[in-house]
Amino acid sequence: MKSKNLSEKILKLVKSKGFKYIDLPSVVEANHIVQRSGENFRKFIFSFIDQNGSELCLRPDLTIASCLRYLENNLRGKEKIFYSGQAYRKSNNKKDSIIRNQIGFEIIGSKDEKNDDKEIINTAIKSLSDLSYSTGTLKIGNIEIFNLLISKLDIPKRWKLRLSRHFWREDYFNDLLKRLETNSDVDPTIVEVDKKRYLKMLKDNQQTIFAGRSIKEILKRFDNKIKDPRGTSKGKNVSKIIKEFLKINCPINEAGEKLNFFFKKNKINLVVDQKYFPTSLNKIHKLNVEFSASFGRQLEYYTGMVFKIDIKLKSKNINVINGGRYDKLISDLGSKKQVPAVGAALNLNY
Amino acid sequence: MINIGIPSKGRLRNDILKIFKKNKLNLISERGERDLLGSINNITKVKILYLHAREIVERLGDGSLDLGFSGYDLLKESEIITQKKINVIKKYNFGKANLVIAVPDPWIDVQTVADLEEIAFEFKDKKKKRLRVATKYPNLTREFLFSKGVTQFKIVGSLGATEAYPFTGSSEIITDITSTGETLSANNLRVLKDGLILKSEACMMRSKSALKSSILNKIVKLLSKN
Repeated sequence: MKSKNLSEKILKLVKSKGFKYIDLPSVVEANHIVQRSGENFRKFIFSFIDQNGSELCLRPDLTIASCLRYLENNLRGKEKIFYSGQAYRKSNNKKDSIIRNQIGFEIIGSKDEKNDDKEIINTAIKSLSDLSYSTGTLKIGNIEIFNLLISKLDIPKRWKLRLSRHFWREDYFNDLLKRLETNSDVDPTIVEVDKKRYLKMLKDNQQTIFAGRSIKEILKRFDNKIKDPRGTSKGKNVSKIIKEFLKINCPINEAGEKLNFFFKKNKINLVVDQKYFPTSLNKIHKLNVEFSASFGRQLEYYTGMVFKIDIKLKSKNINVINGGRYDKLISDLGSKKQVPAVGAALNLNY
Repeated sequence: MINIGIPSKGRLRNDILKIFKKNKLNLISERGERDLLGSINNITKVKILYLHAREIVERLGDGSLDLGFSGYDLLKESEIITQKKINVIKKYNFGKANLVIAVPDPWIDVQTVADLEEIAFEFKDKKKKRLRVATKYPNLTREFLFSKGVTQFKIVGSLGATEAYPFTGSSEIITDITSTGETLSANNLRVLKDGLILKSEACMMRSKSALKSSILNKIVKLLSKN
């Protein structure tokens, strides 16, 4: 966004909706980021060591910095906040800038989740009113529906967890589906050999620890694995259902109906009310509103509603806003209690 | 002056020296075997430097070596910016070893990387800790585990005797280079069924900024014959 004026207008608008401006530190503890996103996220962060040997990094994301603020200041209750600034992230794509200018707004610690979702989306749409775009799309997804579907499928529990965990990583998720369709994951010959070992280990002291895991723990998981094998034909069917689900894409006012038809057809005991979605309007201002079942994969931390807004500006398609619900982020960062949170970030790099 | 790097010790050094000898390139050092500088008999303008195998890759990357001999594993472990500056000219039939993931043998429920993926999340969710992986190859390990869905882990850098880490409480699992697997099993570790990260062998590598020299080309050609 070239004009400073415009970004000021946006900030003013967000403020007028009752959000409070906060300052966020530019540097955060790298450990927080790696703890939450895994070791591989290191590739994207700019990190360095301070004089005490602690690893710090430039904030790769304003949402994380904001959630850390909530956590570290022992804040409680509902907060409506907004902030603006730069996030820093390495990228393999040469075209991406390592500095990302963002404006973000969030509602943290409120239990009124459905209304908060609506408020964040409405604020996001309003914040675009000073941009002279011709058309655009508001795409809405929901990771909770995906997880509910997975919980109802006829596959071993470990596979359910695995599919839920990796929904956000599309390539690996597709690999998982392929594996689900093909061979079973328990090798009978190896199981025979290990069973002898299993019986022997049963006689050992169950509290003995090997590299952080007790014999009891190891044998329990071994037992579960053998008692809960996965058949190939079932796997094929489950994979088919998941793929069909991920193809659901429609105007938002048909989302409930489409999903319920799908659940009924596949004999899945789930019903979704149209009111579950933050809106049922197919057109808001210049934006077409769509539901997409596969949407929501760009970040690991989203847990429920997710959305993005793409607009056409000077004949270019621009992803201008991304947002969603991340109810587990603050607890993942170290809070004992789960703190509901929903927010959106406006991308100013165009 | 052309600079050629040869590993300063170990089996890799001996195997490399053999191919020089076989191709009638006589290496000489003024102060005997322990000298870290040398030359080739009857060829002027060539300096031989005996360096640590890891350092050979680095020096090829910064252009202070024109030609070097090291392991493919060490090249792949180096930073992308280093790798981009090096061409592998020849992969030899020696120095063969695999970089693998190994877990404590008593973990009988863990046979594949998929099992490991589950265990990693168990560590995170139930024990509120991250699974620690000890390795001399953090870059290759990180990338491999991530590509197999293991995202929740912590790398523990190791400089040697990595096999002992799981039993001294320094890590839970390891990745290490092995040719026969004997050291691993002697230390009560087991390689996962699909735990092969990289196949490695000795390589001749040329820095992309190497001097354009007919002598160098001749040496490369000779040593490419194996």
